[in-house]
Amino acid sequence: MLKTFLVFSLCMVCIGGTSAAESEREPFDDRYCTTCHGTDGRGNEGVQAPRLAGMEPWYLRRQLENFRADIRGVHAEDREGTAMRPMATKLTDESIDDIIDWISSWDYIPAEATIKGGDPLRGRGLYGGCAVCHGANATGNQSLGAPALAGQNDWYLVTQLKNFLAGYRGAHPDDTYGAQMRTMVSTLRNEAGILNVVSYINLLSR
Amino acid sequence: MPPLEVGVSKQVTRREFLNLLGAAGGTAAALKAGSALGLLPHTAQAATLDLRAANPAKRKVAILGAGLSGLTVAYELSKVGYECTILESSHRPGGRVFTVRHGDLIDEIGNRQYCEFDDEPHMYFNAGAARIPSTHRNLLAYCKELEIDLEVFINENKTSFMQDPALNGGKPIRNIDYTTHTRGFLAELLAKSLSAGEMDQPFTDSEAETLMSLIRSFGDLNEDNLYKGSLRAGYASGGFLEHGVQKDIIAMSELLKTQMGSRFLNASEGDTGPMLFQAVGGMDKIIEGFTNHVGHQIHYRSMVNAVEVKDDGIDIAYDQDGTHHLLQADFCFNCIPSHIMTGITNNFPTQYVDALKYIRRGTAYKSAFQAKERFWEKEDIYGGISWMSNPSKQIWYPSAGMHKQKGIILGAYDYIDGKLHTAMTQEQRIEAHLTDGEKIHPNYRNQVEKPITIAWHRMNHMLGCSARWQRDSDGWTHEEEELYRVLQQPVNGRHYMIGDQVSMHSAWQESAVMSAQWALADFDQRLQA
Ligand SMILES: Cc1cc2nc3c(=O)[nH]c(=O)nc-3n(C[C@H](O)[C@H](O)[C@H](O)COP(=O)(O)OP(=O)(O)OC[C@H]3O[C@@H](n4cnc5c(N)ncnc54)[C@H](O)[C@@H]3O)c2cc1C
Repeated sequence: MLKTFLVFSLCMVCIGGTSAAESEREPFDDRYCTTCHGTDGRGNEGVQAPRLAGMEPWYLRRQLENFRADIRGVHAEDREGTAMRPMATKLTDESIDDIIDWISSWDYIPAEATIKGGDPLRGRGLYGGCAVCHGANATGNQSLGAPALAGQNDWYLVTQLKNFLAGYRGAHPDDTYGAQMRTMVSTLRNEAGILNVVSYINLLSR
Repeated sequence: MPPLEVGVSKQVTRREFLNLLGAAGGTAAALKAGSALGLLPHTAQAATLDLRAANPAKRKVAILGAGLSGLTVAYELSKVGYECTILESSHRPGGRVFTVRHGDLIDEIGNRQYCEFDDEPHMYFNAGAARIPSTHRNLLAYCKELEIDLEVFINENKTSFMQDPALNGGKPIRNIDYTTHTRGFLAELLAKSLSAGEMDQPFTDSEAETLMSLIRSFGDLNEDNLYKGSLRAGYASGGFLEHGVQKDIIAMSELLKTQMGSRFLNASEGDTGPMLFQAVGGMDKIIEGFTNHVGHQIHYRSMVNAVEVKDDGIDIAYDQDGTHHLLQADFCFNCIPSHIMTGITNNFPTQYVDALKYIRRGTAYKSAFQAKERFWEKEDIYGGISWMSNPSKQIWYPSAGMHKQKGIILGAYDYIDGKLHTAMTQEQRIEAHLTDGEKIHPNYRNQVEKPITIAWHRMNHMLGCSARWQRDSDGWTHEEEELYRVLQQPVNGRHYMIGDQVSMHSAWQESAVMSAQWALADFDQRLQA
C-alpha cells in the first residue's frame, strides 16, 4: 500500500500536472437512471420517464440494447424515446449488466392510476387480444417476450400504445417484437380504444 | 407625398400615423397620472430580511439542492442560529450557476465530458448563468455583502457581426452597419411622413420641431431629411491622419432580406440592457461567496429520494455512497427542479403535486471553444456577441482577458429551443458549430479547439434549463397563476419549494434569490404568529 502510494506520488512529481489532474478528476459510473426515472425507478411523470422497478431483466436488456443500437427512439415524433436513446448510446455491456442488477434491487410498488376518461368495461373486451401474450392478469410472459403491464405507469402505457399505433415505435426492421405490437395495437384503433384498454389494465394487479 | 407602403396591400395614411403619435401622447399623460397615484415602482431597495433568532427546540433545517436559492436560505438562516443541512445530489454546488474550467466534469447523461481548457484564471466558460443586470438588486446586494468582484459584461458590441445567407450574399456585416443604416432609413420614412403637410394636432409647433430634430439625429439625416449614409458606421478608410472616407450605404432593400433585425435590434434591451455585470473569474464566484460561509453544511452526492411532511417535523430520505440515510428536520426548503421532484416519493397535497407537474422544462443549449489566439481582437472585436441566422445562433467573445494569448468563446447558444443540438452526438454538435462559425470567421475551424457542449435538457440532476409556466406566450392564464400561488405556499408550514421555478420570471439568479427571500420572510412571519 505504502509502496503504491510512493510510486504514485513520484509519478506526479516527474510527469507533472497532467497525471495529477487526471487523478483528481471527478469519478463517475453509469448509474444515473434515477435522475429521470425517479426514486427507486418508480417512474416520473414530470419527465415522462416510466417505472423501471419491477421490469423484467430480459425486457430491460432488450430495450437498452435496442436504444443503444438505434432500433428504438429514432423516430422524431417519439419524444420520450428520442430523449432516452442518447442516454443509452455509450453504455457498455458491463454497464447494462450493472444497471439491470441495480434495478432488480429496487422494491416493486405498483403505480397509481392517473388517467381519466377510459372505460374499463370496454377495455376488458379489447384486452383479450393483449392477454394472449401479456397474460390475463397482465403479468407478462418471458417465453413470448411480452413484459408485464400491470403496475406500470398508465400515462406511459398510453404514450407507448399511441406510438405503436402511429408507427413512432416498432417500425424499425430489426424491432421484431415492436412489429408484433404494431399489428396487435391496430385492434385498439384510436386514442379512445387505448384509454379504455389502459384503464382496464389499471384494474389488474400483480 | 404618397402614403408609406407596408406590406403589399395595407397602406398607412398620414392620419393614421398621427393617430399613432397621438396615442403615444396619451401614454405620456397616463404615465404622469400613474406616478401621481403611486402606481409606478419607485426605485426600490434590495430586500432586507430581519429574521428572528432560531428557537433552540426547533432549529433543524433541511435544504434540498445546493442551488443559489438553497444557499441563500442556508446563509440567512445560519446567521440567526438555525442548524442547516444541505443535501446535493451532484458533485458540486451551484446547480445552474456552472462555470466550466480545466478538468471539470460536464455531467451530461450519456455524454460525459471533461473540460480540457488550459488551466488559467481567465480560461473559463459560464455554461449557465452569465449576465447580471444592474437592476437585479437582491443578487447584487449579496455580491456586495459577500465581497464578490464584479466587472462589466459586454453584451452589445458594435463591431461584432451579423450573418445571414440572405443578406449581403452571406458575407457577415458589422452590427454598426446594420444598425446605422436601418436607423437612417427608418428615420427618413418617419421624417417624410411628418413633413408632408401642415403640422396640426396633437403637436404644438415646438413639439413638432423637437420631434423632427430627434428623428433627424436618430437616423443621422441630412438637411433635406434624407439618409445618405453616416460616419457613425465608421470609415471605409482614413479618419485619423487622412480624411475619413465614408462607407457605402447598404440599401434598405438589402437590409430587409434578413429577418434577424427583430431579434438583433432589441438584444440589448430589457433584462439584457446595459449595465450588465459578471463575476470576475467566473459566475460561480458568487456560489463560492456563499459556500465560504455554508459550504461545510453541504453533503455532496446525496440524492434526495423521499420527502415526508409530518405534523411535528419533516423526514428526508436520501442515498449517499449506495446507502440509505434519513434526515429529520423541523423545516425544509427545496430547490430540486420541479420535474425531478415529481419523481421523488412525497406526501404533498394533490394540488401541490399538480402544480409541480404543470411546469415544463426548457431546453437551452450552450457550447464553447478554446481559441488558440484571440483572433477577434484583430478584427476590432473586444467582447460582445455576433449573431447568426443558423442554429448555432451566437458567438460570444469574452468580456475579460483582453490581449491575452488565448480565450474562451461561446460557439453556440440556443436559449429558446436547444433540442436540435441536444439530439446530436458530441461530434455532430461540434461540427455544426464549426460550420456555422466559419461563416463569420473564415479560419474559425483552425483557430478553435477543445470544445465543450452543455445540453441542459440532459444534464444529470437538472434535466432542463429553467421552468416554463406559461403554455401560451400571451401571458399567464388564471389557472397557471393559481398553481403558482399554490406552489409558493408552504406545505404544513414546513416545506417550501424555492428557486427561480417559484417565480414569474424564471431563468434569472435574481428570481432564485427573491424566491428564497420570499420563503424566508413567510417562514419568519408564520413563526411569529
Ligand atoms: C443556459 C442558462 C443561462 C442562464 N443565464 C442566466 C444569466 O445570464 N443570468 C442569470 O442571472 N441567470 C441565468 N440563468 C438562470 C440561473 O442560473 C438560475 O435561475 C439559478 O441558478 C437557479 O437557482 P436555483 O436556486 O433555482 O437552483 P438550481 O440551480 O436549479 O439548483 C438545483 C439543485 O438541486 C440539485 N438536485 C437535483 N435533484 C436533486 C436531488 N434528488 N437531491 C438533492 N439535490 C438535487 C441539483 O443538482 C442542483 O444543484 C441561466 C440558466 C441557464 C440554464
